[in-house]
Amino acid sequence: MEYVSPEGLRLDGRRPMEMRQIRAEIGAVSKADGSAIFEMGNTKVIAAVYGPREVQNRSQQISSHALVRCEYCMANFSTGDRMRKSKGDRRSTEISLVIRQTMEACILTHLLPRSQIDIYVQVLQADGGTRSACINAATLALADAGIPMRDLVTSCSAGYLNSTPLLDLNYVEDSAGGPDVTLGILPKLDKVTLLQMDSKLPIDILENVMQLAIEGCKAIANYIREILLANTKQLEYRRGV
Amino acid sequence: METKSTSSFTNLVDQSVCPGDVVLDLSKMINQTIKLGGGLRQDCDAISVMKAGRLRFSKPHKYWVENSQKRYVPYAEDSVLGIVVDSRSDNFLVDIKGPTLAFLPVLAFEGGTRRNIPRFEIGTLIYVRVIKANPGMNPELSCTDASGKAAEFGALKDGYMFECTTGQSRMLLSSPTCPVLDALGKKLSFEIAVGLNGRVWVDAASPHTTIVVANAIMNSETLSGAQQRIMVEKLLQRIQ
Repeated sequence: MEYVSPEGLRLDGRRPMEMRQIRAEIGAVSKADGSAIFEMGNTKVIAAVYGPREVQNRSQQISSHALVRCEYCMANFSTGDRMRKSKGDRRSTEISLVIRQTMEACILTHLLPRSQIDIYVQVLQADGGTRSACINAATLALADAGIPMRDLVTSCSAGYLNSTPLLDLNYVEDSAGGPDVTLGILPKLDKVTLLQMDSKLPIDILENVMQLAIEGCKAIANYIREILLANTKQLEYRRGV
Repeated sequence: METKSTSSFTNLVDQSVCPGDVVLDLSKMINQTIKLGGGLRQDCDAISVMKAGRLRFSKPHKYWVENSQKRYVPYAEDSVLGIVVDSRSDNFLVDIKGPTLAFLPVLAFEGGTRRNIPRFEIGTLIYVRVIKANPGMNPELSCTDASGKAAEFGALKDGYMFECTTGQSRMLLSSPTCPVLDALGKKLSFEIAVGLNGRVWVDAASPHTTIVVANAIMNSETLSGAQQRIMVEKLLQRIQ
């Protein structure tokens, strides 16, 4: 199947180095301490953060830093055909672990000893790049909750199909079986917090694909910053400051 | 302080900042003292932001990030509204919406001795003062002011308690008086206790007044001063 046309267009009309349209909204869940909705094209994710709060299970309490817990699940209606098991399967457990480890890299857990931070992420609509969208949504929700962070974590996927590096893969491109790199970075600190790859890639091509993903992450970071700054300004404006 | 470093900070003062933003390079500073408040941290030679909000400056050398959130980070000398969740032999465990439960020693009351230990049922709402707030230990509370007098602290009977953001609770406690409280106070008679942890307690002679005051305060979070006054006027017109 041809994923990139001779004119250099992908199946959804994007250029190889073009991202899907992104949209974010802060404060979607009123009862949560911090929450956000993040959309990347047709992928739509909602994240809610509770904490820092008292550890519920005393045996899990860590005296030197905060306990970070993460739960990822996909809504039954998130895919074309209804999902039977949306939570607790191996894929969900693995993605929960990935999100937790990625977020732990940016949260200053040592400032909140003997407490617990819960991150709940739900995929409302899936069209490829769900774990990237989840990490971006979780970052926004953590910032909304006022949890101390080293930097914003942003994530983006990139792949290699028809001898062309592609940025921000959708479901059709993702399931084509080609290499798929998911990258998470701390943009201001220039550090990588997540790097996953399906399939194989020669090292020189991997560098190109990674560079493309980094550029995508930085573009998302700029957008997330704009959203956070706009939210702060809006609060100030409303109060007449 | 060199001109470079001052400009880097003054450019960002009263500006919105995000986690990861570097607001000051200490390597360019010579023999200068600065105090860092909430939302800022020192990372080697850089002062960076760890919470989204607005960078504030207070003379001579205090910097902090002002933000609004639902959870409360305990600081010494803050007055907060707590809920008793457990009672121990030597202290009460109090929920102050912080990362951990706070301790209220049974002797931390005016004239507190082993003979007259107060009895607080679980669920009692109390107005207390934070006296110790270190990251490695549970915050410690007291029901007395700095001079050892009970003052306004203690159990709050009756009334209605609701929650708001920490930013709004600071706004309600700000000086000059917050427009919504100013407008309500001119027309209605009520008692209010605002905790810096984002809890507000309201009591009035009639439940009717209590509900009006509580709703007005809850609605005021997203309004400017002028809008708050208009909203209160409309509310009062409806109920008269």
